[in-house]
Amino acid sequence: MNVARPGAFLVLVALVAVAPLVVHYPVLLTQALIFGLLAAAFNLLLGELGFLSFGQATFNGLGAYAAGLLLVHVAHVPILVALLVAALCGAGGALVVGALSMQGAGVYAVMLTFAFNELAFYLAFQLRDLTGGDNGLRGVVRPEFIGISLAGENAYYYFVAAVFLVVFYALLRLIDSPFGHVLRAIRENEPRARAIGYDTRRFKVTAFTISGAVSGIAGAAYAMLYGFVPLEVVNFDTSTNIVIMGLLGGTGSPYGAIVGAAIFTLLSDRLSRLWAHWPLLLGILFCTVVLTLRGGVIEIVHRLRPSTPRRKAPLRSG
Amino acid sequence: MTPVGMLRTEKLCKSFGGTVAVDSVDLNVRAASLHAIIGPNGAGKTTLFNLLAGEMRPTSGGVFFEDREITRLDVRERSHLGIGRSFQRTNIFRALSAYENVRVAAQSRTQASFAMWEPATRLRDVAARAQAILDDAGLAALAVRTAGELAGGDQRLLEIAIALATAPKLLLLDEPSQGLSGEDALRLMARIRTLAERYTIVLIEHNMNLVMELSDEITVMNFGSILARGTPAEIRADPQVREAYLGSRG
Ligand SMILES: Nc1ncnc2c1ncn2[C@@H]1O[C@H](COP(=O)(O)OP(=O)(O)OP(=O)(O)O)[C@@H](O)[C@H]1O
Ligand SMILES: [Mg+2]
Repeated sequence: MNVARPGAFLVLVALVAVAPLVVHYPVLLTQALIFGLLAAAFNLLLGELGFLSFGQATFNGLGAYAAGLLLVHVAHVPILVALLVAALCGAGGALVVGALSMQGAGVYAVMLTFAFNELAFYLAFQLRDLTGGDNGLRGVVRPEFIGISLAGENAYYYFVAAVFLVVFYALLRLIDSPFGHVLRAIRENEPRARAIGYDTRRFKVTAFTISGAVSGIAGAAYAMLYGFVPLEVVNFDTSTNIVIMGLLGGTGSPYGAIVGAAIFTLLSDRLSRLWAHWPLLLGILFCTVVLTLRGGVIEIVHRLRPSTPRRKAPLRSG
Repeated sequence: MTPVGMLRTEKLCKSFGGTVAVDSVDLNVRAASLHAIIGPNGAGKTTLFNLLAGEMRPTSGGVFFEDREITRLDVRERSHLGIGRSFQRTNIFRALSAYENVRVAAQSRTQASFAMWEPATRLRDVAARAQAILDDAGLAALAVRTAGELAGGDQRLLEIAIALATAPKLLLLDEPSQGLSGEDALRLMARIRTLAERYTIVLIEHNMNLVMELSDEITVMNFGSILARGTPAEIRADPQVREAYLGSRG
């Protein structure tokens, strides 16, 4: 039942390493990795805990603005410090939003994550002096990494790839850990999990906080990719896109998030060049996948390898 | 006077709006005994269990466990004190394997549940305990099967196995044979016989033969309150009980 099987992870490492040789567009690939982090953070909640978060952009935005402001206003910030600050801000925001949202039951908790996202968007929009409002926050510098310049797009891709792989590996470990097992017990039957002695609320809020930290890192990587923090990092469209990527890839495996993010990023790039109404095609694809492959695109892998033990059921509701 | 029990209640009451589901119940469960609670449908037996396990707060009255008042403790805290409970309606982790159902329950007794780096498989004691409980329940061959896909009888055994995995001092079993018949019912009764030798048990059960055979003490409930209590022989001889309950069941 081990998801941290080295095999699958090594395949991922290899794919990430050779991707720029196949797709000669490192900015797009970097964006795919960043979306991969966001989708993986979302799937940790939906796939493992069974909690649908409709406000993941809140923590992406917190990370992006935290790192952005730091890099705009403070000279010589090491890149890892920028990522760490972003992770802490994402985690802190998620701790508050998670603790308050989980007060609500069922669909109310989902709606609360959405409401907090709207609140975060409104704040980012109103605090123009800080965030630049709808003009965005400009002048975000991209620091070097232990003396290596990341100014080139390929160099930055490989830096983000390393961050992505480290974070994703940590998530795989978490999913297999005692903590991850409790999350799945809560997903299956929260009252029974409480009856056997688990403080389910603490587990849920902790998972939410970790998801926020990962989303914060993604936000920071995004800010440094474009040297700019657009207001979109925190808007509801971004939250929706994260949901789409998560469900497109499938919540039955953590790798599903990456598949979903890759398909979403590459396809929306291609389609947007072909046709102005491309989101329509994306929507049709999304519906088709969700209706025919309830476990998302990653389900295909499971069907091809029937011996693979299913760690969890595909999404049944929502 | 009966000796002070492992579990006691004092004038325990629970109302839902107008319905008084549990009405001034004084219960005394001695350690190492099997205490059966019987009574017709709607008598308040499950509600009493909910009050004992901490799933619900009483309207008034108190619950005492090992001479400590636990009325205000929630279900999680009572689980850690050693009160384990199985449910009348099968209440398992359906999409997880039978093994994982029991394993995650056993894991709740460790300090390791917030560990996020080492795989859960490293918790060797937990794995061994889970395996032993499955073996004991006769579910070893079904360990890797998805719990929700098990047959009814196996699910009922798993339901109890989850409670056992939390290493309870007191086991509350709510109609463990509910919904079973024939072979399955017999298997479950054999299981309860085995457990009766090892645990202090409060058992809600409609099967009178089993109750009369295993109980040290029986409490009969009707309309939320205690109608009678005593040894199986006393209960069998009680005319009130015969009229209200036993009579209707032959
Ligand atoms: N959560 C609840 N809300 C409202 N009324 C309830 C609730 N739980 C139980 N009741 C009512 O309390 C009374 C006792 O129910 P309870 O389930 O405790 O009976 P029981 O003795 O377990 O019956 P059975 O043998 O059918 O399981 C019933 O009238 C029931 O409708
Ligand atoms: Mg009942």
